[in-house]
Amino acid sequence: MCSFKLSGKKASCGWILGLVLLFAGSMQGQNDAIKGDGIKAVPILTGSTAYFTNINGGRFQDAPVVSPLMLLPFGDRWLIEAKGGLSDTFSKNAQGNYAGKVSYGLVYAQADYITKYVTVTGGRFTTPFGIYGERLAPNWIRALQPTPLSAFITSGASLGGMLRGGFPAGTEKVNLNYAAYFSANNTNHIVATDRSTGGRIGFFLPGPRLELGASFQQVLQADRPHSVGVHFVWQPNAFPMSLRSEYVRSSGTKGSAYWIESAYRLSQIPYLKRLELVGRGQQFFAAPNLTAATITKLGPLGKDTNEGDFGLNYYFRSDVRASASYGRQFVLGRNANLWTVGMTYRFVMPMWPTVGVQ
Amino acid sequence: MKFRLVIFAMLLSLAMGLALSAAAKAKTRGGKDTPATASAPANQSEQDNNLRLEGEKRFRSNCGRCHTAPPKFAPRMMGTIVRHMRVRATITDQDMRLILRYMTQ
Repeated sequence: MCSFKLSGKKASCGWILGLVLLFAGSMQGQNDAIKGDGIKAVPILTGSTAYFTNINGGRFQDAPVVSPLMLLPFGDRWLIEAKGGLSDTFSKNAQGNYAGKVSYGLVYAQADYITKYVTVTGGRFTTPFGIYGERLAPNWIRALQPTPLSAFITSGASLGGMLRGGFPAGTEKVNLNYAAYFSANNTNHIVATDRSTGGRIGFFLPGPRLELGASFQQVLQADRPHSVGVHFVWQPNAFPMSLRSEYVRSSGTKGSAYWIESAYRLSQIPYLKRLELVGRGQQFFAAPNLTAATITKLGPLGKDTNEGDFGLNYYFRSDVRASASYGRQFVLGRNANLWTVGMTYRFVMPMWPTVGVQ
Repeated sequence: MKFRLVIFAMLLSLAMGLALSAAAKAKTRGGKDTPATASAPANQSEQDNNLRLEGEKRFRSNCGRCHTAPPKFAPRMMGTIVRHMRVRATITDQDMRLILRYMTQ
């Protein structure tokens, strides 16, 4: 296990240097930056609702969730984004009565200033690490509802500043995307974050529709663990399949994990074209030499775990979907069946008249 | 280990270097590759059709990486949605323009 530690001072110097260079680039690209093509964007309320019944090792649990997302554009370059989450997870208690636990939180609340090569973001944002947290986590997007164990290894949210963007890497055959951030520590239970820094770099080849990338995160508090990750996404042009995978390794107590997922839409079969088949395999390797107390504290991240999931998604419309999945989890001393069935609905509505000047 | 730090720093430097060179190249080209500033061709409808096809292609390759194709919304809503996706999915400026054009036609 490697153990280099990046001091806060060095990390700050690195990001300031990057900030200067990227701003230099973005200033060069200002004249060409987007002007909205004459379309005046309006505020939008979007998000998703879902209701799922989960059976984990014989224990039933119902979970209605709503995740509203408000998008407020200003001028041609600004965007304010705020997403919340509210869920009520209820199940039968020892007396046979249903008891629920309401949880809520602020997923992100960020202000973005968009230029051709750089988007400057400030506020609370989803940590740019891998692809799951930022792009696949919303329940109307994820192909399988159970969250992969790798998602719990790194800090999922950050509070601070971020630079990100995407552009052709000298040729239209390769797009490069990047993100670099710095986060402060916050102990408020609704918006808790770690003091950390890190980034992600990715290459997308539009021709073969292949994306490869790598991520890094250095926590700058407590035992200062760092994490590295790689990801890839491939959607062959010949058939309607998506293949996605992530690998994450942490130097701290949270171990390492990988998952590989394949989704196949049966769009070539007339009567089954709304159906999608999904399969995912994942392995989690707990950090070695953990004490009994640490294993208890880590919960699912304390023991080696193998898991296979299979699921079906039926799209009534592009925004309404029924999902069901079965998974088998192999953990030392506690194997379990994981069943999930439910529905998701993604909504989009304007908060301002959409007719008029364009 | 320092070796990993060096590799990460090199990757980041590479990204920044490419950003700067791409910015400089775009400036010297005078934005010729952007559809909004392209000179008007003799056959406007053919160009519109080409842009629509290119927009559809970019829509499928970028948006389809994560989710199913959404329906077309009112143009002013699409302006916001595409701006949001520009940030979230780090799609390029040109892809965003072409997707917006395709989704508002």
